[in-house]
Amino acid sequence: MTSTTHRPAPRVGVIVAYTLRSCIGPKRWLGCLLPCAGALLFGLLTHAMPEAAGESFARVAADGIFALVVPIASLVIGDAVLGAEVRSGVFHFTWLTPTPLTQIVVGRWIGGTLVALATIVPACALAALVAGDTEGVVPAVIASAFGASAYIAIFIAIGCVARRAAVWSLAFVFLVERLLGTALTGIAQWSPTWESRAVFVDWSPGAPQSIVRDGIPVGGGAVVRLVLITVIGLAIARWRLSRLRITGAAD
Amino acid sequence: MTAPDAPGALVAPLDPAFAPNPTVDVANTSVWFGQKVALSELSCSFGPGVTGLLGPNGAGKTTLMRAITGLIPVNQGTVRVEGRNPRTDRKVHARMALVPEDEAVPPGLTARQLVRYVADLKAVADRTAPDRALDEVGMLDVADRRVDGFSKGMRQRTKVAAALVGDPRVLVLDEPLNGADPVQRAHLIGLFRRLGSEGRTVIVSSHVLNEVERLADRIIVIVHGRLAAAGGQRAIRDAMNDRPRHVLIRADDRRRLGAALIGLDSVAGIQFDTDSLVVATSRAAELALSLPALASELTVRLREVRPLDDSLESLFRELVR
Repeated sequence: MTSTTHRPAPRVGVIVAYTLRSCIGPKRWLGCLLPCAGALLFGLLTHAMPEAAGESFARVAADGIFALVVPIASLVIGDAVLGAEVRSGVFHFTWLTPTPLTQIVVGRWIGGTLVALATIVPACALAALVAGDTEGVVPAVIASAFGASAYIAIFIAIGCVARRAAVWSLAFVFLVERLLGTALTGIAQWSPTWESRAVFVDWSPGAPQSIVRDGIPVGGGAVVRLVLITVIGLAIARWRLSRLRITGAAD
Repeated sequence: MTAPDAPGALVAPLDPAFAPNPTVDVANTSVWFGQKVALSELSCSFGPGVTGLLGPNGAGKTTLMRAITGLIPVNQGTVRVEGRNPRTDRKVHARMALVPEDEAVPPGLTARQLVRYVADLKAVADRTAPDRALDEVGMLDVADRRVDGFSKGMRQRTKVAAALVGDPRVLVLDEPLNGADPVQRAHLIGLFRRLGSEGRTVIVSSHVLNEVERLADRIIVIVHGRLAAAGGQRAIRDAMNDRPRHVLIRADDRRRLGAALIGLDSVAGIQFDTDSLVVATSRAAELALSLPALASELTVRLREVRPLDDSLESLFRELVR
């Protein structure tokens, strides 16, 4: 005789499975894979540069991959896992359950990070290989993994704060990080772009010292900073989720 | 000091806006969105059984339902479900469910996956619960089809199944019959009535008023974010006795009958149509007594006497006027 009762699955696991199954649709996959293809093009671009493979890939990765590919691809994922669902009016299926809000946020973030690990991170590793910088593969993997997970946490938070999350997320990347972060070290210290780049250039043997930015943590310190950014992003998302007005798609 | 149940003690009549054994309490609640006031100092309660929520578009029905389920915060007043704040106490969602009006459903999921997702988050131990909920709404045979490919009615029924899977004590249904075919409507109406008779608190809003008449034991009417009326359909009508009502009369000699009717105190006005006359009266019961006698006296044969405004729809028009 078979029992009709079972022990309920852990809620975080249920949310992760739902995130992977429902939040990242075919268009989102395409939107994520296009910048990833851009990473490979950046890898190919290094062959046109006069420097050695390690140095040329470090320059391209610092200014192209970590400043453009990782944030854009992470934006597509980070917006999909929560903000887009809130806007489309289906988030109530999750919110109207006794699931603690922290578990909802963490589940969505894990789901998004798993997608990033399957797309952005391999694309960055492949870019290093395409560029001929085999020693840059591991630093690229570590930097892109921690950078993408920090970005996803930030974009989840922005999705809980702003209705036009994609616009505000782009503003964060290009105005706050690129514009203000270039000028102000205080902002760069809390920027996934600058910190993931700092992880890569510190650990990549071929990277020239001239592209290491002064005044921000590098290497392991940058990894810790990216983890801190992730935690802060998730905490903001959790806090905002408890104050969110969850309205329908038409509102 | 007089005991409350002592003979002769005055017993205050129950306010029809408040249910005798409330599970959902809305007290002096206001909600506004910027300059727009969606609910204004609304107080009412809901108890076991089916309560219909009526009001024109923009009256605040959906806002009230979202406030009850905690989806939106209230700016003033309180909302309590089984004594808990649905906005801050997440445990209350184990015993409450909402079927929103929106057509939106999560993409990429089958009906069974969606209902199972809600069941898992509500920690439903019975593994047959999702299929039983789908069967309850007649969706079991299409349970493995994707919900984003469903028609509006099928989506609505899937959402009802997702709401039922947690065996809720409080069920909030915003236009749940939208898009359902007549057979399914009848089935869902029967289902909601049964859930109400089982002692659950079922709150239903609908624009199809004859369905609310079939569904609800009690009706709450909201107009411009305020409580306009509450009680049974008849009670609302009784509360409006001072308002003119209209009675359509078809008779052999309508002109002679009309001329005689105009002399009655209970008749406020008469309008002649091509083959009938419409009598406006503020005392319908008195008119009902005097009309047959008058027709008999005039030897006028009455072919049809029908109140024009006894449906909820007409009550509603009166209330929003």
